[in-house]
Amino acid sequence: MHTKGSQYARSLIEASLDPLVTISTEGKIMDMNNALVSITGKSREELKGTNFFDYFTEPKKAMEVYEAVFAKGFVKNFPLTIKDYKLTDVLFNGSVYKDIEGEVLGAVVVARDITEQKRIEKEMVEAKVFAELATEIAVDAKREAEEATKISSEAVKSKQQFLSNMSHEIRTPMNAIIGFTKVLFKTDLSIKQLEYLQAIKMSGDALIVLINDILDLAKVDTGKMVFEKVPFKLSRSISAMLHLFEPKIHEKNLILIKEVDPNIPDVLLGDAVRLHQIILNLVSNAVKFTATGSITVSVKLLENKSNTVSVLFSIKDTGIGISASKMEHIFENFQQASSGTSRLYGGTGLGLAIVKQLVENQGGLVSVNSAIDIGSEFSFQLEFEKTLLEAEPIIEIAESEIEINQIKVLVVEDIPLNQLLMKTLLDDFGFEKDIAANGKIAIEMMALTVYDIILMDLQMPEMNGFDATQYIRNVLKSEIPIIALTADVTTVDLEKCKLVGMNDYIAKPVDDRLLYSKILSLIKKNQLNLLPQLEITEKAIESIVRYTDLASLLKRTKSNPILMMEMISLFLDQTPLLISTMKNSWQNKEWDLLQSTMHKLIPSFSIMGIGNDYENMAKELKEFAETKKEKVVLPSIIFELERVCNIACTELMEEYQYFEKQIKITIPSIIPIP
Amino acid sequence: MNTSKNMLIFLVDDDVVFLKALEIDFMDSPHYEVRTFRTGELCIANLSEKPDVIVLDYNLDGVEKNVLNGIETLDKIKEIDSTIAIIMLSGQDKIEVAVKCMRHDAFDYVVKSETAFMRVEKIIGTIQNIKRMEKELTWYMDRM
Repeated sequence: MHTKGSQYARSLIEASLDPLVTISTEGKIMDMNNALVSITGKSREELKGTNFFDYFTEPKKAMEVYEAVFAKGFVKNFPLTIKDYKLTDVLFNGSVYKDIEGEVLGAVVVARDITEQKRIEKEMVEAKVFAELATEIAVDAKREAEEATKISSEAVKSKQQFLSNMSHEIRTPMNAIIGFTKVLFKTDLSIKQLEYLQAIKMSGDALIVLINDILDLAKVDTGKMVFEKVPFKLSRSISAMLHLFEPKIHEKNLILIKEVDPNIPDVLLGDAVRLHQIILNLVSNAVKFTATGSITVSVKLLENKSNTVSVLFSIKDTGIGISASKMEHIFENFQQASSGTSRLYGGTGLGLAIVKQLVENQGGLVSVNSAIDIGSEFSFQLEFEKTLLEAEPIIEIAESEIEINQIKVLVVEDIPLNQLLMKTLLDDFGFEKDIAANGKIAIEMMALTVYDIILMDLQMPEMNGFDATQYIRNVLKSEIPIIALTADVTTVDLEKCKLVGMNDYIAKPVDDRLLYSKILSLIKKNQLNLLPQLEITEKAIESIVRYTDLASLLKRTKSNPILMMEMISLFLDQTPLLISTMKNSWQNKEWDLLQSTMHKLIPSFSIMGIGNDYENMAKELKEFAETKKEKVVLPSIIFELERVCNIACTELMEEYQYFEKQIKITIPSIIPIP
Repeated sequence: MNTSKNMLIFLVDDDVVFLKALEIDFMDSPHYEVRTFRTGELCIANLSEKPDVIVLDYNLDGVEKNVLNGIETLDKIKEIDSTIAIIMLSGQDKIEVAVKCMRHDAFDYVVKSETAFMRVEKIIGTIQNIKRMEKELTWYMDRM
């Protein structure tokens, strides 16, 4: 019974997972359970009688446990590390045990394994540190992001400015180089000279292509690329463009096959210029990389929906082909199928990148199939809207039916070198021409002679191309075709050209064939319009000067007559009051009031299109009110401002009535007026 | 970004011609809802509508006297709700004016010109961005 009881107690002790040991008063191990055996890795026999402290990393501290337990009779939660194979962290709890007489026999000590608690504690500390770090990083990131937003918006601005400048600065000299090279070709040359000249022209052309490509890509990158929706004839547009390649294809003895699906509607809505650019890039690649065989350009109708059609264009050649491994890279910037290719065939590797951007930005897809030495096929898919509108007559290359001897051209251009170039080109075309050095001279010349077309440079001293065109359209009321000559081809400028009433533009360096065909097609179009040219006398120039110009306001309001009337009536209410305050405060020398009055008056000048000269006058007056530096001209400025504002009010009153009529015309259909 | 709700924008200027022109510019965009006020007082009285951005003229006391000027209006608005972003407008392209606006906690400063609307629109875009980033940041902070 007794042994059975102690056997049961023993089995409980042995079953405990916490190491349990009894030590003698001398600190020797007397007994232990299984857990201690397994944690120390020694047998019971080996352990028995050895020093208790030898089993810990810090024997001194273990000694403290031993001392404490015999001194106080117990020890609680004392941390130690057992010297086993993995250094288990434990907490000690122990107490002495005595015999019946109360004599201390030894101590029983239990070690609790706290490895798990230690690990969790450590992880928690780490997690805390991490969280603190993350907060710091997030705060930093926010600050950096704000900084970056600022920097990037600045960068975009300066990039655009840089590109615009670069485009202008490079194109202007290139215009002279390429232009005069072309002129030189027409002179008597030795075979050697001809060869050298050929090299100059080829290099020049290549440089221009490169500049255009870079500008295009930059435009796409900055989201400046705008796609137009203009009616155009697809099949004619493609024929006209393939025309360009005929000499080259002839030269290389290739066959050009054109297949256009007759089911495609005749006129589509889309951006014909960009479509040209895409096909041009692909066909010129095909021609470049094909030595023998044929090039097939095919256009197929994929889907005919109620409002749109989906068209598949494909350009197939029998050229050198592209290996499968290069296929995925060819649409990246500055990539050609192999670096050897560029040495052999030239080119920048931007063409396909532009094609991809142009197609994908219009919601289309580009794909390529190719086999080495057999050929490549590039295809892309685009969607066009259907339309009932007539297509604008496209510019056809060198299609001349009009008699060209009587064409009289006015060239407005300030740089003598460019004047000479235009003169030479127009002489070659057999056109008559006059040169004006700026817009002002051009307008004076228009009063004396009737011209068929004007070629207008944009940046000129005295009166620039925009102002001159505006004057010709609004004051002279002439519909004479005007082509802008521009070295700066950012989208902004082209929009401005259209806005002031120019019919077309041509980028410098001027391509003589393009110039020729643009001149002819515009003159033809103008004659078809049968608009009688107004006879302009000098008197007319004097009398029809208008002080206000609502063009920009019309654009702002999208020609909404109600908004226009609101704006005009606000101006009519506010301005006379400001003018009288201006006069009174001048007389009473209330300079602060004068300043704030001018301050309020000035913004409305540009809104109503009252000329810069008057705005500057007003600014001068305001500046005086601030600095009190009197000028002799001030009284005349006040007089002039009053006069202009009065005329502006009269003009705007008329405009107001005009818009009022417009509303009356549109509204009766809805509300019958009794 | 929160696209479901349009941004509410207050335009405040005593130059009614410019005010209307700016309003027309904003009308083109579907993302904004615009309210216009001729004085700072009227703008403040309507702050309960919780505008996201206020475009405020610097010279509000130009011709009419005894009304709040731009900076006073700016301070009052900031007192009531400091989270509203305020863009100051001025006909003067002067560093003192710009610095003064910034000191009084305006978000940015734009000179009245043909391009004023474009600039203001761009700044509003930046404000939207920052607000979004702040929102995201608090979201992450909460989760940490």
